[in-house]
Amino acid sequence: MTSPLEARSLSLVREGNTVLDGVSFTVAKGEIFALLGGNGAGKSSTLLTFLGFLDPSGGEVLVNGKSVGSDVAGARNSIAYLPEAASLYGHLTAYENLDYFLDLAGKSASKDQINVALDRVALPQEARTRRLQSYSKGMRQKTAIALALLRETPILLLDEPTSGLDPVAIDEFHDLVKALAEGGQTVLMVTHDVYGACQVADRVGLLRHGKLVGSFAAEKGQRIDTETVHAAFAGRPHFQTDAA
Amino acid sequence: MSTVLRIAREEWRLWLRSKVVVAAALIVAVLLAATSVLTVNRVAEEQSQRIEQQIAAEQTFFAQPDRHPHRMVHYGHYAFRPPPPLAVFEPGVDAVTGQSIFLEGHRQNTAMFADTKAAADLGGFASLTPAILYQLLLPLLLIVLGHAMFLRERESGTLAVMLAQGQSGTKLALGKAAALLAVIAIFMIPLIGVAAYSVSLGESALAATSLVAGYFLYLCIWGGIVLAASILLKQRAVSLGALIFVWLFAALIVPRFAINASSAVIDAPGKIESDLVMLAEQRKLGDGHNAADPAFMQLQAQVLEEYGVETIEELPINWRGVVASYSEAELTELLNSYADKRMELEASQSHLFGLFGFASPTIAISSASRTLSGTDLATHHRFLRESEDLRFGFVQALNEKHATDLDYTADINRNNGEEASRAARINANAWQVLDEFRFEPDSAVQRMDRAMPSLGILIAWLIAASGVVYLASRKVRL
Repeated sequence: MTSPLEARSLSLVREGNTVLDGVSFTVAKGEIFALLGGNGAGKSSTLLTFLGFLDPSGGEVLVNGKSVGSDVAGARNSIAYLPEAASLYGHLTAYENLDYFLDLAGKSASKDQINVALDRVALPQEARTRRLQSYSKGMRQKTAIALALLRETPILLLDEPTSGLDPVAIDEFHDLVKALAEGGQTVLMVTHDVYGACQVADRVGLLRHGKLVGSFAAEKGQRIDTETVHAAFAGRPHFQTDAA
Repeated sequence: MSTVLRIAREEWRLWLRSKVVVAAALIVAVLLAATSVLTVNRVAEEQSQRIEQQIAAEQTFFAQPDRHPHRMVHYGHYAFRPPPPLAVFEPGVDAVTGQSIFLEGHRQNTAMFADTKAAADLGGFASLTPAILYQLLLPLLLIVLGHAMFLRERESGTLAVMLAQGQSGTKLALGKAAALLAVIAIFMIPLIGVAAYSVSLGESALAATSLVAGYFLYLCIWGGIVLAASILLKQRAVSLGALIFVWLFAALIVPRFAINASSAVIDAPGKIESDLVMLAEQRKLGDGHNAADPAFMQLQAQVLEEYGVETIEELPINWRGVVASYSEAELTELLNSYADKRMELEASQSHLFGLFGFASPTIAISSASRTLSGTDLATHHRFLRESEDLRFGFVQALNEKHATDLDYTADINRNNGEEASRAARINANAWQVLDEFRFEPDSAVQRMDRAMPSLGILIAWLIAASGVVYLASRKVRL
């Protein structure tokens, strides 16, 4: 069966620096895969290659079994992307932002449908007609997630999704991501938050200096052991790892 | 609504919600409106004044009493060049070349009310007119509005979100271009209003439409340059700085350099300078007031032989009139040769200046603007030539009257008392020899022909700017 997301010996060299070096992984349908790594490990670059924003120097990335290089538009149509900064327009309201970006994606949604999505991400009713420039980071993040929900794409790429969120918002966000995965959406998230990754992901891949150096899978009905992953992340020896 | 129009609409929403942008647009709109109204009023007033003055000058000439014909040669006449209707938008070289000429015997006077000689205003940047606002200020406003169109998206991260929605860089660029195009369309409204007003004053619709189209092209070029910078450069400050530099270069530095270079490469002396050089040659022609001047001995022999008489007193015509006519023809030939040479040099300067349009679209539009408005150097030169034809025509007609209608003996005795003076006059009906003079702009087709090279340069600029935008947009990266 074709994996929604697959990296095959993915390498990336930018301005003479090796950003990714032979990274391979697959993400199954309905799976949450978290790529964990420090600053400059190549996490965000991995995401950007799936969107066709960066061209691999070697290997390839596939979305639904098709090479992104040969079908960028197809890849982007299948993916909802949530950038780290939850970048939306500050001069527009939540309604206006969602309407606009949905339009760009070739989708349309009624105000009721938008409200349902915003209810799902728990964006307060009173905030929805305010411009985003008055929003907190968490509120912007929720609006961006609502966009991902409304697009109804089979794949969700999340770049440091909980960065800057308070603990309550993080918990709410994790619950939402899990619900999406249970609904069949495939999630690839990159983060340097060990605890968060272990809490939400079905599998965690450890990226260091552009190489995938470890992978940890959750036991059925259990979470990934945070201590083990943390030890690996910190570079302590003798950590247990599964095959990537 | 198509994606392109949707992107354009959102850009507009951003501009309208930005107080700075709205304030800048309002200031420019007020400036544009005020300048247009003031220029329209001034030029309309000048036009009616000069037509009235032309009629008054003719009536004054015709109303002169019986006189010696040569006194009327020196009494002279005025030729006025009324501003063409489109001068309400583009006064062009009118402000510096002079718009009226005193016409008299033996001289080609300089056009009056001139601030400086014609060749000095090749750039036409002398004062704040609607044309100058369109050429200089509106590109600046486009820079303010558009320098960050793409960069803002890139810096805020929304470019990634937009592209991630499946949109191509080319489509985003088209959307941004459509937003700028709508701004430019709004900028064109005052010009369209002025053009329509000029048509109501008698201007050709073709010329007025071409002028509007020329400025539309010009502003689209600036829109393209602004958009290209916004796509290609990586920081807002760099984009703004680079575009301001391009504006300074294209709108001020190149025109200034082009004027100096044209003057340096083609040295065109002014009217006074040429007159001084010509003076020595003029003296060799003899003094037409003195029929006994040795310069006319050969002419005298020819005329006596032609009429088969021995002395000038025996001639059936007035010898002094013959000399005056001959002398005027010789002198005019000399004057015209110098004037033609000077005008050729000025035209060459103007042509060379126009070629700098390849380095600056501002030069191309300013040249096209003056030509299409009928306020260019070529039109001024035609005015000089036509007024010279008028001068030569009435002076020679008076000399003819002098030769045929006034007795030679009475003529040479004209200073011997009041009665002798009266006997040396001819009937005032003779003053009807003066032709009516109404200077008209060139036809729209002629102006279009002359403006074609500049319009062609503008089209080349637009193709180049669009090409850069297209290529850059295909490679849009985060």
